[in-house]
Amino acid sequence: MVTVLLSAGWAHRGQKTFACHEGTVRDVIREFVESYPHYRRRLLDDDGEPLTYYNVYLDGDLVEATDRSRVAAPADSTVAIVPPLAGG
Amino acid sequence: MTSLGDLHTTGPTAPPARATMVRVPGGTFLQGSPERTLDWLEAEGQAFPRDWFTDETPQRPVTLRDYLIDRYPVTVTEFADFVARTGYVTSAERAGGSMVYSDYWEIREGACWHRPAGYGSGVRNRGDHPVVHISYPDAEAYATWAGKRLPTESEWERAATGRAYRLWPWGDTWDPTRANTAEWTGGSLRGLDEWRKWWSGIHNAQGPVPQTTPVGAFSPHGDSPDGCADMTGNVYEWTSTTAHLYAPETRCDPTIHLVMGRFRAIRGGSWMNFRYQVRCAERLYGDPTGWSNFALGFRCADDAPESGAEHHGR
Repeated sequence: MVTVLLSAGWAHRGQKTFACHEGTVRDVIREFVESYPHYRRRLLDDDGEPLTYYNVYLDGDLVEATDRSRVAAPADSTVAIVPPLAGG
Repeated sequence: MTSLGDLHTTGPTAPPARATMVRVPGGTFLQGSPERTLDWLEAEGQAFPRDWFTDETPQRPVTLRDYLIDRYPVTVTEFADFVARTGYVTSAERAGGSMVYSDYWEIREGACWHRPAGYGSGVRNRGDHPVVHISYPDAEAYATWAGKRLPTESEWERAATGRAYRLWPWGDTWDPTRANTAEWTGGSLRGLDEWRKWWSGIHNAQGPVPQTTPVGAFSPHGDSPDGCADMTGNVYEWTSTTAHLYAPETRCDPTIHLVMGRFRAIRGGSWMNFRYQVRCAERLYGDPTGWSNFALGFRCADDAPESGAEHHGR
């Protein structure tokens, strides 16, 4: 499984980590939203594609928005979703 | 006459006056928060866990030389003058939009410094408000043009807190009438649900219009000990400092660790925030690659000239 990590600033009811299946980073984000539709407006556009204003890190490495459909998140990896204004 | 959006100027105006800069005397101050502040935050019942704030710790001594810092954030009129003189195009204008908050953050088409709520909005009668939708490169470009620079994070905090630690520029007792925060605009808001209701009322009536106030509107009772205004709320402010931990052993929210070395420190909170996010030692971090939003501005700083020497900045 892949762990999806959110910041406390975005965490709904305090839950910051979620389990998803392996796949491209794009697929992981889409599956995450399918399981937790509360995050749809934050993460996907009207066509269901991941928005580009937030940053995504795979095991600590930045995945550029243009690479999210190509880069695979393997088992036991962590996909962190970080807004452009972090902390606070 | 120069026309920028709906803002009309009478042509190039005088450069930002040095009189609007404050000279902060050099010396050593304690940057960051003591553990007792984190204890207080936990006891307050605010929305975030302790590790959301541990990046403010440990408190450590920092020594600075004398420096200058703007008394106010850069205003719409000042930024318009910069654009009129240089033809500068901001990151938001190049991208075709910038971020506003509706029911969540979203990229609003056309939003930029002179259209803060997107197409159909403008800055008429907002010339003395802090400019918003400013990216890190935009802030650096203005500062360079003005013959100044952005403040470091340490300089910003020292200018807000004075020689001794305090929660807010005026002291340790919260007073919603001393700064432009959500608690001033919206009254006594308790928690995110009430915040959403407050913002929804504004948004439904006005659209995503920044609830900024003229710079200095809360002076002098909201000023810092050195006389800086709007250090609490109004707009988030860029600093030049790359995000870093005060001590390598500090553990905080995992997403905060990810922006260390990547983002730039942002200080002061904004009109959107509660009292906890507008403290002198509060740290936020912004993506410096061109992102901006409708609550994000800046002020400038500079090295202090030797006593008696003229400063040659613009």
